[in-house]
Amino acid sequence: MRSLLPVLALCAGCSSTITCKKVDRATCVEIEDGDVAGLQDAANTLDDDSAIVLAEGTWELDNAVTFRNANGVTLIGQGMGVTVLDFGINENQTNGVDVIADDFHIEGLTILDAPKDGLRIEDSDGIVIRGIEVTWSEEDNPENGAYGIYPVKVQHVLMEDSVASNASDAGIYVGQCQHAVVRRNRAEKNVAGLEIENTQFAEVYENQVEDNTGGLVVFDLPGNPVVGRDIHIHDNVIRDNNRANFAPGGVVAQIPAGTGTFAMASRRVVITGNTYEENDSVDIAIISGLVIESDEQQWFTTDAELVGDIDGLDLETGTGGVFNYRTSDVWVYGNTHSGSGTDPDMSSLEERELGFLMGILYGQETVDTVIYDAIGESGHSPTDASANTNDNHICVGADVGSFASLNLEVLAAMTIPSLDEVFRPDAPFAPFNCTGQTPIAPDVEVEE
Amino acid sequence: MRRALLLVALVACGPGETPEETPTLADYGVLGWDGQELSYVDDIVTYELATPLFSDYAAKRRAIRLPEGEAAAYVEGDAVLDFPVGTRIFKTFLMPADLRAPGQDLRILETRVLTRDADGWDTEPWLWSEDGSTAELAPSGAAMTLEVTGLDGQPQTIHYLVPQRNQCVDCHELKDGEDRYMTPIGPKVRHLHRDAQLADFEAQGLITGLPANPEAASVWDEAVDPTTLDDVSLDALARDYLDINCAHCHNPNGTEGVSSQLFLHRGETDPFALGVCKRPGSAGAGTGGLTFDIVPGDHTQSILWFRMQTEETGAMMPDIGRSVAHTAGVDVIAEWIDRMPGSCD
Repeated sequence: MRSLLPVLALCAGCSSTITCKKVDRATCVEIEDGDVAGLQDAANTLDDDSAIVLAEGTWELDNAVTFRNANGVTLIGQGMGVTVLDFGINENQTNGVDVIADDFHIEGLTILDAPKDGLRIEDSDGIVIRGIEVTWSEEDNPENGAYGIYPVKVQHVLMEDSVASNASDAGIYVGQCQHAVVRRNRAEKNVAGLEIENTQFAEVYENQVEDNTGGLVVFDLPGNPVVGRDIHIHDNVIRDNNRANFAPGGVVAQIPAGTGTFAMASRRVVITGNTYEENDSVDIAIISGLVIESDEQQWFTTDAELVGDIDGLDLETGTGGVFNYRTSDVWVYGNTHSGSGTDPDMSSLEERELGFLMGILYGQETVDTVIYDAIGESGHSPTDASANTNDNHICVGADVGSFASLNLEVLAAMTIPSLDEVFRPDAPFAPFNCTGQTPIAPDVEVEE
Repeated sequence: MRRALLLVALVACGPGETPEETPTLADYGVLGWDGQELSYVDDIVTYELATPLFSDYAAKRRAIRLPEGEAAAYVEGDAVLDFPVGTRIFKTFLMPADLRAPGQDLRILETRVLTRDADGWDTEPWLWSEDGSTAELAPSGAAMTLEVTGLDGQPQTIHYLVPQRNQCVDCHELKDGEDRYMTPIGPKVRHLHRDAQLADFEAQGLITGLPANPEAASVWDEAVDPTTLDDVSLDALARDYLDINCAHCHNPNGTEGVSSQLFLHRGETDPFALGVCKRPGSAGAGTGGLTFDIVPGDHTQSILWFRMQTEETGAMMPDIGRSVAHTAGVDVIAEWIDRMPGSCD
C-alpha cells in the first residue's frame, strides 16, 4: 500500500480528506463522525482485503474495536487528533483497538483512554502502524492503561511517525516480535518510553523519547520463548527522562527515574548516533538479567519451546535448553551525552534499589555515562585494569564520555557502597574497547 | 476465512436483486420468550451443564438443534462432541432482578448462536429488545448497564457485556500449530453427564459412541459450603469449576492463555502447570503484588485467587465475561488452596 504520509504532511491545516478512493483494498466503507454502530458493525463483519475509513470526529466507544476474522484490513482516519477513538466510557476490561489479523494497517487516528492497552496487535504477521497517537487524558495516573502501542508476538512490524503518552507502563512496547522497524515516533510522559522486549531483529531510529521515567530500553524477561537479539538503536533523542515512576506495580515499577537506556538480558545490541541529555540517574546501563531475577532456572527455555532464530548466539546451555539472563555483544559508541547522571532517583530503596545504589555510590560525583554490571565476568578488579575480563564482549567507544564497570551484587551487599569498588578506566576503556572489530548489523525485514 | 455474516450479504446486494428477508431467531427455531421460558420448535433439545461458566450471575438457557436424523459423536478423551454440519447451539442469557432469587423476574438479554458449517463453527450474537419481544442480529454486541438487587440486598450495578462477534474468538478459539479453529466449550460428555441427561440423549439417538461409564463433572450448587466437603469432593469441584471457567483459554491449545503456561483443564496433572509455586508468565498488573499463582495453604497469597475475586480492570480474570466476582466460586477455590499441603519456601 502507498504511503499516505506525504499527503498528510502537505495537508496539515487544509481540507484534503482520506476517502475510500485513496485506500488500496478490495472493499472499503466510510464511517461518518461518531457513528459507533457503523464502525463496530463494519469491524465485526469484514471480509479479507477491506478498509474502514473514518471521517474527522470522535467516536465514544463502550467496547473495544476488534479485528479477528479477516486479514488484509486497513483502519484509517484523517489524522491524529482529528479522528479520535475515545474509550472513556468503556466499562469493560478491554484494550482500545485489539487486533489478531495478518496484513493489518492502522493510520491517522488517536486512541484515547483505553481501559487496558491502547493498541494491541498480537500473534500477527505484516503490520503497519503509521501516524497514530495513543494517550490517556490524565498525566501520572497509575490507573491509565498499561501499554500505548503494543505489537506482541508479531512478525514484520513497521511502526512510524506515531506518538504514545501517559501510559502507566510503556508508551511503545515491542514485545516478542521478529523483524521490527520503529522509527520517527515520539514517546513522552510514560513510565517507560520505548521498550524492546524479547524481540529479534529490530531497527529503532530517529525516535524522540523524552520526559518518561525511563527512556529507551532493551531487555529479555525470564521464561520467555523468544530470545532477544540483533537490536540496532541509532539516531534517537533520549532526553530528560526524569518523570517520577507512577507504575501501579510490576517490573516497570523498578525503573529509577532518570534512566536513559538500559540493555538487560540482551545480546547483539548496537547503540550509536543517539543524543542523550539530562537523564538524571544514568544515560546507559548494561546489566545482567540476574539483577531482576536471580534464580537462573527462571531464565531457562527448552529447545522445544524456543521461538525464532538463535543461530550464532553464544547462550549458556543446560540440559535440553538455553538460559538467556546474560547480556553480551553490546556495542555503545558514537552517541552524544550532556547533562546526565547528576541526580539519581533515590525515592525508594525498596522499589528502585538501583537508583538508590547509584545515588549513594556516586554521592556528589556525576554518574558515569555508561555503566556495566560485571556480575557475569570471570575477572573484575577496581584497581588492576589487566585483571578485568570482557567475557561478555561489551564494546564501548572511546567517545562515550566515561565508563564504569561494577559488580552490583557486591555493591548491594555493602553497608555503604563505595566507588573504590568500581573499575573506572580512562578511554579507550580496555578491555572493553574491542579495537579493530566491526559491530553487528541486524538484518531487518518489514513491509514498507 | 469464515463465512461472512448475513448482514454483509444484505448490504452487498446490487441493484435489481431482491434483498433476502432479514433473518430472525425464529428462522433458527427459537420462537420466543414468554417472560419465564423460551419456546423452541420441536426438534430443538434443551440441556444443562453440570458446572456452568459464571457470567455476572446471568441465568442461562441452553439448547441444541441437530440436523434431522443425525447425531453428535463421542470423541475420545475430554473433548467436545463431534457435531454434524448444520448443528446449531443456542445459549440465552437472562438477568434476574434480584440476585438472591436467581430464577425469578428475569430479563432476557442475548442469545449466542454457534453454527457448525462446512468450514467450522460460526458465531452470531443476537440481542433481545428490552421487553423481550424480539431479537436482532447484533454483530457489535452491546455494553449494558443493569441495575439489580445484589446478594447483600443492596442495589448493584452490573456492567454486562454482550460480546461483539470478534470477541467470541477470545473464548471459543483453539490453536493447533498454526491452525486456528473455533469450538463450542460446554458440550463435552463430562459436563453433560448429569442426572439422566446423557442417558436420555443416547436413548433419543442424539449422541453415538458413548463409552460404558463416562466421567461426570461435579454438579454445581450455588449454595455450596466448601468447608463441609471432603477433600476428594472439594478437589473435584474446584477442578471442574476451573475447567469450565478458565480452561477455554488456560489449556495448551488456548490462543489467549497459552503464553501464561498456566493450564487449568481437568486433565492437567502437573501441579506446577496448575500454578502451584509457579510464577506468572505475563500477568503484568494482574499479580496484585503476589509472587506465585498458587501458594499451597494460603489463598490470600495466591494470584489465581486474587484475579478471580478482584473487580479491578487489568487484573481480573476471566479477561472478558464478568464484571463482578462470583463469591461462591471464589470461596470454593480459596478452600481448595487452603487445604493444599506444602509451601513455596
